[in-house]
Amino acid sequence: MTDTVYDVIIVGAGPAGLGCALYAARDRLKTLVIEKMIPGGQIYNTDRIENYPGIVRVDGPGLIDQMQKQVESFGAMISPGCEVTALEKRKDGNVAVLCGGDTHVARAVVLALGSQYRRLSVPGEEEFRNAGAGVSYCGTCDAPFFRGKEVVSVGGGNTAIEETLHLAKYTRKVTLVHRRDEFRADKVLTEELRLEAAKPDGHLVIRYDTIITAIQGEGTVQSVKLKNVKTGQEQDYPCDGVFVFVGMVPNTGFLKGIVQLTEHGFIRVDCAYLRTSMPGVFAAGDCRIGAAMQLVTAVADGVNAAITMKQYFRDPRWWHKPVTDEIQPGGW
Amino acid sequence: MAEEGLIEVTEDKFEDEVLRSEVPVLVDYWAPWCGPCKMAAPVLERIAGEYEGRLKVCKINVDEEREVASKHRIMSVPTMFLFKNGALVDQIVGVTPNFENDLKRRIEPYLD
Repeated sequence: MTDTVYDVIIVGAGPAGLGCALYAARDRLKTLVIEKMIPGGQIYNTDRIENYPGIVRVDGPGLIDQMQKQVESFGAMISPGCEVTALEKRKDGNVAVLCGGDTHVARAVVLALGSQYRRLSVPGEEEFRNAGAGVSYCGTCDAPFFRGKEVVSVGGGNTAIEETLHLAKYTRKVTLVHRRDEFRADKVLTEELRLEAAKPDGHLVIRYDTIITAIQGEGTVQSVKLKNVKTGQEQDYPCDGVFVFVGMVPNTGFLKGIVQLTEHGFIRVDCAYLRTSMPGVFAAGDCRIGAAMQLVTAVADGVNAAITMKQYFRDPRWWHKPVTDEIQPGGW
Repeated sequence: MAEEGLIEVTEDKFEDEVLRSEVPVLVDYWAPWCGPCKMAAPVLERIAGEYEGRLKVCKINVDEEREVASKHRIMSVPTMFLFKNGALVDQIVGVTPNFENDLKRRIEPYLD
């Protein structure tokens, strides 16, 4: 237990947390960022970022390294390796967080918790995943282990397409399975995917209207059960591995009963000022309701929270007042 | 590059360092391209320090030691194998959210 009272504690050092920390630190607010693993979050695993405006192409670790250095250069403290497990409003108006055995106190808290891989929840997925026996959620991590082999990937968003294209570089064959007949990914990516799929060697195959209903094999993955959602037809499809890219779920379990959450676990906020149901606590990035789940929007959320936080410091009673153009936190 | 406490193992050293070790050995299969492996690294270093004398922590770069990786059927990184008296007694694949605690919980039952 320390006597320090920070101006702000930011929970999570992904893009949202680091964006917030940058603005808070530049405004000379005493800033602590608590991170359960290492800075970067999900974006750390990406080797190809091409949609960050102003940066033609960068890899995740490279971008995070820059963000972190920038944040620390203005005096913010980043504390990795500790997971926040509790949050509490104190009688003096401050907010306390608990991580490890330590309590940290601040005038305001920004929850930038991010999200984690959604599971398919089909038989075999958990077992093969835990055994390291052919189920993965990260193509950039595990593609090299499937050199010359055949894999199935699942999903319809940007990550699914990008990762499938990455897998195509290593595997003998990758089959992308999607439950609808069109992808929701950026058109630029689906065009690139279709070009690869059109190549005569057949090393990239797309199966629309199809889902995986089971992952099968003796010891390691040997096949998946596929089902066509329109015809109902099922088949066993041989493969050596399955890569799952079906979205993310917010890391908000510990907040149940503490701040208002949606039934899917996203933190309820007003989308202008990012205020949660607990005065002094903001939410930013993938973990909040209505998040676009993008690197850039997470950073923007973090910055918005850092700015509206100052309105809260000016007038704590403002917390429950509606969104209005009389309060433009950035000033006008 | 071995940090303090973490021993970099190659295929020819595997038998001596791991299978013939007097204390249990946690072997971390990692790769330079792997983000989660970087997340795991500081945790493994802390564990090596905390359990010094009771546990040995080794690293194998699967990009350089491809034969070891395929012989041990590594399909995902990071994968951690726990060896005791030359036998594989447990394994963890990937970095879980409460990684340090999870790892300790899995290791402790095998320590003297």
